[in-house]
Amino acid sequence: MTHQHINKVTSSRENILAAAQANKPAETPLPTVPDFGGDASVERFTQVLAGIGGRAVWVQRPQPLEPVLAQLFPEARRIASPLLAGAVDINAQTPTALLAEIDLAVLEGEIGVAENGAIWLPEANMLHRALPTVTQHLVLVLDHRCIVATMHQAYARLPGTGGYGAFVAGPSKTADIEQSLVIGAHGARSLVVLLY
Amino acid sequence: MTHALRASTFVADAERTSWHDETLWFVRQKRDKAVYAVPEFQELRELASQIKEHTLSRLDEYLMQFEAKAQRNGVQVHWAANAQEHNDIVLDIIRRHGATRVVKSKSMLTEECHLNPHLTGHGIEVIDTDLGERIIQLREEAPSHLVLPAIHLKKEDVSDTFHLHLGTEKGNHDPQQLTEAARQHLRAKFLAAEVAISGVNFAVAETGGVVICTNEGNADLGVNLARVHIACMGLEKLVPRLTDLGVFTRLLARSATGQPVTTYTSHYTKPAAGKELHLVIVDNGRTQQLGRPDFRASLKCIRCGACMNTCPVYRRSGGHSYDFTVPGPIGAILSPNIDLKKHSSLPFASTLCGSCTDVCPVKIDIHTQLYKWRQVLAEAGEIPAAKKWSLQFMGRLLASPTAFGIGGRVARTGLRLLPYRLTHSKTFNAWAVARELPEPPKQSFREWYRETGKV
Repeated sequence: MTHQHINKVTSSRENILAAAQANKPAETPLPTVPDFGGDASVERFTQVLAGIGGRAVWVQRPQPLEPVLAQLFPEARRIASPLLAGAVDINAQTPTALLAEIDLAVLEGEIGVAENGAIWLPEANMLHRALPTVTQHLVLVLDHRCIVATMHQAYARLPGTGGYGAFVAGPSKTADIEQSLVIGAHGARSLVVLLY
Repeated sequence: MTHALRASTFVADAERTSWHDETLWFVRQKRDKAVYAVPEFQELRELASQIKEHTLSRLDEYLMQFEAKAQRNGVQVHWAANAQEHNDIVLDIIRRHGATRVVKSKSMLTEECHLNPHLTGHGIEVIDTDLGERIIQLREEAPSHLVLPAIHLKKEDVSDTFHLHLGTEKGNHDPQQLTEAARQHLRAKFLAAEVAISGVNFAVAETGGVVICTNEGNADLGVNLARVHIACMGLEKLVPRLTDLGVFTRLLARSATGQPVTTYTSHYTKPAAGKELHLVIVDNGRTQQLGRPDFRASLKCIRCGACMNTCPVYRRSGGHSYDFTVPGPIGAILSPNIDLKKHSSLPFASTLCGSCTDVCPVKIDIHTQLYKWRQVLAEAGEIPAAKKWSLQFMGRLLASPTAFGIGGRVARTGLRLLPYRLTHSKTFNAWAVARELPEPPKQSFREWYRETGKV
């Protein structure tokens, strides 16, 4: 970056902030957002999840997940998961070529949202930031007691967003061709939630 | 060229126009279904409106808070006064990494700034990864909708485009198979990209983080595989608190497509270890709009597209007829701020029915602003002479009962006596281009009342 360029950009910052200050309207209050309550039942969560193309399956913990996964994904060869022994070793430094070969990722979700079927997945549970979208199929394991009714309650429970984290609601999808819904756009082709 | 003129090419294909109209109305209906399922939806709209208004009323402070937090998180923050500066900043970052392969997820701001041609002109390959955006990029077209960029196309068009560029089977129109072909094609691009550019849906002042919402997962896949992430945002994307996202994430997808939430609602706060996260904060006319009391509420927009899905004019004229990055009613109130003369016909591309205002999740008074822009345009002399003079004439005629009575008589007789070709002349009477004039009645209401009143 040239010296001149730096000066220009720095002055842009000052100009933008000065214009925002000069042109802003008189201050209005910031409202308090109420909780609104709502239905936090597992039934509601699984029903909405099915509506967005996901699927819930009950499992017993701490019994091993392998038999259930073998039944659900008999063809998955390369599985990435911090919850399974013998899974492909994935960490934040794993090269793209290896990530691209993952058939199935099994990760732990933190909070489920009944109104929209979304599950909070923090970076700490992802092994690699790209894993939840680069994998062909995604399984999220969720404690049914961690289901809340709405996004308000989900955000209220988040200790923070960490470096990266996402609410994942169902499999990757698109309707960009004539509004026809197609599951499996660029991210995971399917999403199974293992509830316990 | 006016909106009406551009729309005339779109409506020339009646079948496609009807299809476009019905498809978008279907999206509006899906929106209604999702909205009615949330009892507090109207309260959420009011909260969203108040949060955005408050943010605008302290915009400079929140921008500084956001910048400070983001920098503390290890994010590199850049400021761009206009499109040119934005494009220069992005190109500069890409060049510093010696990168030539870039993937980009959906961002109306980079469309607004014409980033792609700028990068391509400097030897950078930039691939749009949202399916709809990739389709129109291959066709060298502009998006015609905020969230459904290829809504003007039929599956046959997509099939032809993919056959030409991706080598799919000719005549195969199956959306599932076309999407799979795009998935394979774009996977290779994702895996090879060195830099990923994204838009921003929300920027949180208290955390310094940004939120990106997609259904396809293309933003996350691109960003999290590349070494460098450049997120480009208009400065109106700010919200003060993390918990404000509870309100906006409940409104956005329901208003846009009738989904309860987008598939991915991703929070980017710090760069991944060993990687870079850049934020480009862009003004490009926004602080100027902030200084217009009648029009500043347009900055509350969260780009859901609900106003265009419901608009009877947009649905029947298509997004390209607006010739502005953001089409539809919201585009018609944002565009005159950028170039009053060029976009002077857009505030007239409305029936002022108010449906846009009714569905807006942040309660922007869109139809009132459309009306107010018309006043601004008239004062600036930016309306056609025929419209200006005929309206002035009608204004005087309607203000005088005598003149109105005489005018009515002249019109009733005139319509009966004058030849059809003159009364329906496309040169003199734009109203009759696609309409029949009514059969003139024998007498006016006032004449009838005078007669009947005597009985």
